[in-house]
Amino acid sequence: MQRLYAIAWLTWKAAFRFRLFLVIAGLLLVSVVGLPLLIKDDGTARGFTQILLTYTLTAITALLGFSTLWLACGTLARDIEECQIQMLAVKPIARWQIWLGKWLGIVSLDAVLLALSAGCVYGLLQWRAHRLPPDQQQALRNEVLVARGSAREKNFDKEIDARADQLLRERLEKNPLETRQANLGEVRRQIRESVKAAYELVRPGSPSRPWRINLGSARLHLRGQPLSLRVKFNAAEGSASGTYGGILAFGEPPKTKTAQSPVLSMAPDTFHEFIIPPDLFDADGVLTITFGNPNETALLFPLEDGVEVLYPEGGFGPSFVRALGIILCWMALLAALGLASASLLSFPVAAFFSLGLLAMTLSSGTMANAVEEGTIAGYNPEKNTRGSSPVDLVVIPTFRAALKVIRLAMDFSPVDSLSTGRRVTWTQLGLALSQIVVLMAGSVGLLGIFALSRRELAGAQAVQ
Amino acid sequence: MSGRPKKLLLLTLAAALLAGVFFLQGSLNRDREQLGLTRMQPLENAPPVLAFTTVALGGFRGLISNMLWIRAGDLQEQDKFFEMAQLADWITKLEPQYVHVWLVQAWNMAYNISVKFTDFGDRWRWVQRGLELLRDQGIPANQNAVLIYRELAWFFQHKMGANLDDANMYYKQQWANEMAQVFGKLKKPDLDELINPQTDDQKARARLLREKFKMDPVFMKEVDQHDGPLEWRLPEAHAIYWAALGLKIAANNPSKVKAEDLITLRRVIYQSMQLSFYRGRLVNNPFAKAFEFGPNLDIIPKVSAAYEQAAAEDAAYHDHILQAHKNFIKDAIYFLYEYNRISDAAYWYKYLAEKYPNADVLDYSKPGTSPARSVSLDQYCISRIQDDVNGTPRDRIEATIEGQIMTAYRCLAIDEDEHAAGCKLLAQRLWDNYMSRIPAGDRRKAVGLRPFAEIDREMLRRILDPEHGAAPEVRAVLLTKLGIRGDTARAPAPAPGTNAAPGQAHE
Repeated sequence: MQRLYAIAWLTWKAAFRFRLFLVIAGLLLVSVVGLPLLIKDDGTARGFTQILLTYTLTAITALLGFSTLWLACGTLARDIEECQIQMLAVKPIARWQIWLGKWLGIVSLDAVLLALSAGCVYGLLQWRAHRLPPDQQQALRNEVLVARGSAREKNFDKEIDARADQLLRERLEKNPLETRQANLGEVRRQIRESVKAAYELVRPGSPSRPWRINLGSARLHLRGQPLSLRVKFNAAEGSASGTYGGILAFGEPPKTKTAQSPVLSMAPDTFHEFIIPPDLFDADGVLTITFGNPNETALLFPLEDGVEVLYPEGGFGPSFVRALGIILCWMALLAALGLASASLLSFPVAAFFSLGLLAMTLSSGTMANAVEEGTIAGYNPEKNTRGSSPVDLVVIPTFRAALKVIRLAMDFSPVDSLSTGRRVTWTQLGLALSQIVVLMAGSVGLLGIFALSRRELAGAQAVQ
Repeated sequence: MSGRPKKLLLLTLAAALLAGVFFLQGSLNRDREQLGLTRMQPLENAPPVLAFTTVALGGFRGLISNMLWIRAGDLQEQDKFFEMAQLADWITKLEPQYVHVWLVQAWNMAYNISVKFTDFGDRWRWVQRGLELLRDQGIPANQNAVLIYRELAWFFQHKMGANLDDANMYYKQQWANEMAQVFGKLKKPDLDELINPQTDDQKARARLLREKFKMDPVFMKEVDQHDGPLEWRLPEAHAIYWAALGLKIAANNPSKVKAEDLITLRRVIYQSMQLSFYRGRLVNNPFAKAFEFGPNLDIIPKVSAAYEQAAAEDAAYHDHILQAHKNFIKDAIYFLYEYNRISDAAYWYKYLAEKYPNADVLDYSKPGTSPARSVSLDQYCISRIQDDVNGTPRDRIEATIEGQIMTAYRCLAIDEDEHAAGCKLLAQRLWDNYMSRIPAGDRRKAVGLRPFAEIDREMLRRILDPEHGAAPEVRAVLLTKLGIRGDTARAPAPAPGTNAAPGQAHE
C-alpha cells in the first residue's frame, strides 16, 4: 500500500506543480458562485433551487470530468514520453502499482475538488433557503431540500396476466379457428391491454377505483406529517382549454379520517404534485385515494407512473453526499479510461480517444433511437416507414451492446433526484460503486495495467 | 522604418481604420438593406450579451440553439419546467432576429407550460414570462416585427381576456393589481397625469409604466381616444394598445409588412373592443373585496364603427364580420336597455332595423318572421331573458323576475345605480308582458303572478334579512340608499311599476 500511496502522492504533487489543482478549484468555485448570478429561473424559490442544483452540479461534473480525463491521459502518457517513468520503473515497484497509484491519486484529487465545490453549493443553497420567507422556506424543505421516498400501488401484473389468459382461452373456445388463423401473441397482447386499461380508466362523471398505496414501515415515522401525491393521466379526447377538472379524495371511512380537494384544473400527460394532509392512512399504513372525474371524457391513470405517493424519508444532506458519491464513481471511471488510453497511446491520441469515447457515451440517445427503430437509415414518422441499410446488420447489434455497457454507468441520475427532492439511497450508491467502479473501471483498469505492463518504456523518446 | 515609430504608425493606422469603420457602418447597413444584400436587419441597440453571442459565435449559433431547443423539448416531455425560462432566454439570444423563435418560445411558456400547473399562481408566472419575453426582449431586438406585436396583443386578448383557461379570472385580477401600481387602486385611470406628471408619485408611476410595462402614455391616450374609452386595468385595453402599435410600426415600414398581418392586427383590435364592450368596465365590490366586470356601454359607437371598417377591409371574412356586427348590435341594445339607457337602446334598435332590415330578432328558426321593424324594443329585450313568454311556466317567469330584482338591489349596493334601474325595469316589463297575455277572469288568478310590488317587497325582505340575507355592510348601504330605517319588517314597499332605480322609487 505504501507504494501505491507514494505514487498517488507524486500525482498530487504533479497536480500542484502544474497548478492544475488551483486552476480547476478556481474554475469550479467561479462556476458555483457565478452561475446563480447568470441563470434565469422561473421566479419561484423552488424553481431557483432546482435550477441552481442542476446547473451547478452539472457544471461541476462536466468540468471535473474533462479535467480528470485530461489529467489521467497527461500524467501517464507524458511521464512515458518524457522518460520520467523510467525513474519509477527501475525502482522495486510493479507496473500495476504505478497504474493504480496514479488512479488513486487522481480519484482522491477529484474527491477533494468535488467536496470543495459541492460544499460551496450546499452552503449556498442553505444560505439562500434561510433568507426566504417562512412559507417559501417550508415549501422548499417539503419539495426540494428533502429526501423523499416513494410508494406506489401494488403490482397488478399477475392479476392482469391471469385475466388476459382466461379471456384468451374463452375466446379460443368460442372460436377455435382463430387458433390457426390469428397471431395469438398479438391477440393476447391486445386482450392484456384492454384488461390493463380497466385498472387505469376513470369513466366520465365517475370516481376512480380506490387506489390503495401501502406505505410499509415508513408509516411508523410519518404520523403527523403531510405527504405528497404525484399523479399523471392521459385523456381520451382533447379539451379546448388544455386542462381537465378533477377532485381528489383521501382516506377510507370509517378506518381513517378523510379529506377532499376542491375541483382542480389539471393538464393531461404531465405530472402534478399535491400535498396530502397528515394522518389519512390506516393502521397498516394503507392510504386510499380516489379521483372524481367530472369531465365528459374518460381519463386514464397509467399503472406504471399514474399515481405515486412521496414521503419524507431523511435529510437532504445525506442524500446530497450519496449523490456526490455517485458523481465520484463517474470520475473514477473517467480516470481509469484516461489512464488505460495513456498506457497504450501517446498523449494526444489518448486524449482524443478518451474524449471520443466520452462523446459517444453522451450521444447514447442517438444510438438508443437507432436501436429502437432497428435501423440507422432513418424513420419517417409521417409515413410511419423506416429505411434499411445493410450496415444495420452490424451496427445495430453493436449499438445494442454498447448501450448495455453505457447504461451500466449512465442509469444513475443523482442530480435529477436531488433537484426533484427524491432520496438517493445507499442501494443506488452501492450499485453505482459496484457497476461503475468495480465492474467498469475495474475492467478498463485491468486492460490499462496489462497494456502498461507489456509496454516497452525504454523505447520512448524524450520530448525536449 | 523600424521599432517604436513603426509601432506608433501602425497603432494610429488601426485607430483611424476603426474610426472609419465606425462612421461607415451605418451607411453600409443602410445599403445592405436597400440593395437586398442581407435577408435580416442588422442587430441594433442590442444588450451586450446579445451583441456578443451573435457576433462571437457566428455560424455556430444555430447549432448551439438547436441543441438547446432539443434539450428544452426533452425537458418539457419530462415535465421539468424550471429550466425553461433560462433555455428560452439563451435560444432567443442566439437567434434574436428570427421572429418565430420569439413567438414559439413565448407561446410555449404562456400557453403550453402554464397549463401544466394546477396552482393558478404558477400559471400566472408562466403567462408573465411569455409576455415579458416578447415585450421586454423580443420587441427591442425586432422593433419592426409586426408579428411580435400581434402575438403580444393576442396573449392579452385570448390568454388573459378570454375564458378558455380556467385561471383566466385570476390572470385578470393579477393584471388589474399590476395596473393598480400605475393607475392607483380605486380611481379611474388618468392618462393625463402620466403624460405630464407633476408630483413625485405621478412621476414614479409614469416611470413604472414606461420602464416596466414598456408603454407610452401619449400613445395610450391616442388609442383611448380612437378606440375607447378603455379600462386600462383590463387586458383588452392592452391588446388594443399593442395591436395599434403594431399597425403604427407597419405604417412606417409598408414594404416589409404582409397584408394578412395587418388584417390580423385589426382583427385583434375590433375583437378586443367587442370584449371591452361586454365587460370592459371594472366595478369595485367593496363587500367581496374584489373587482367585478360590467359592460362598457360608452364604447358601443366605436366598436360598431370598427366592425364596419374591418368588414370593408377584410374581403375574405366580410360576411362573417357583418354577422358578428349584427349580433353585437343586438347585444348592445339589450345591455343598454338593461342599464336603463332606453333612448340609446332605441337609437341602436333603429340602426339595426335600417342596417339589417331582414335580421330576425325573435325567432331565428323562422327566417323573415321577426325583423326589427316589426318587433318593439320592449318585446325584443324581454325575449332576450326569456325566449318564449307564452310557453314558459309561471314559476320560471316568477323566478326570472325575482332574479332581476335581486340583481337590481345588489347593483344598488355597489353604486351601479343605472344597472339597478335597468334590471328593475326589465323585471317590471317581464311581469307586464306575462300578465298581459293572460285573459281577464278567474283564470288570471290561478295562473297569474303575484303583484309586482309584492314580489319586490319579498326580495327586499330577503336581502335585508339579518340572518339569511346579505352581509351587514351590504344591508347598511341598502338601508341608507333606500331611506329605510329600522328592520325589514318596517321596510316600505317600493312603488309598483316604477322605472327608476330602487333607491329613487322612495324619494
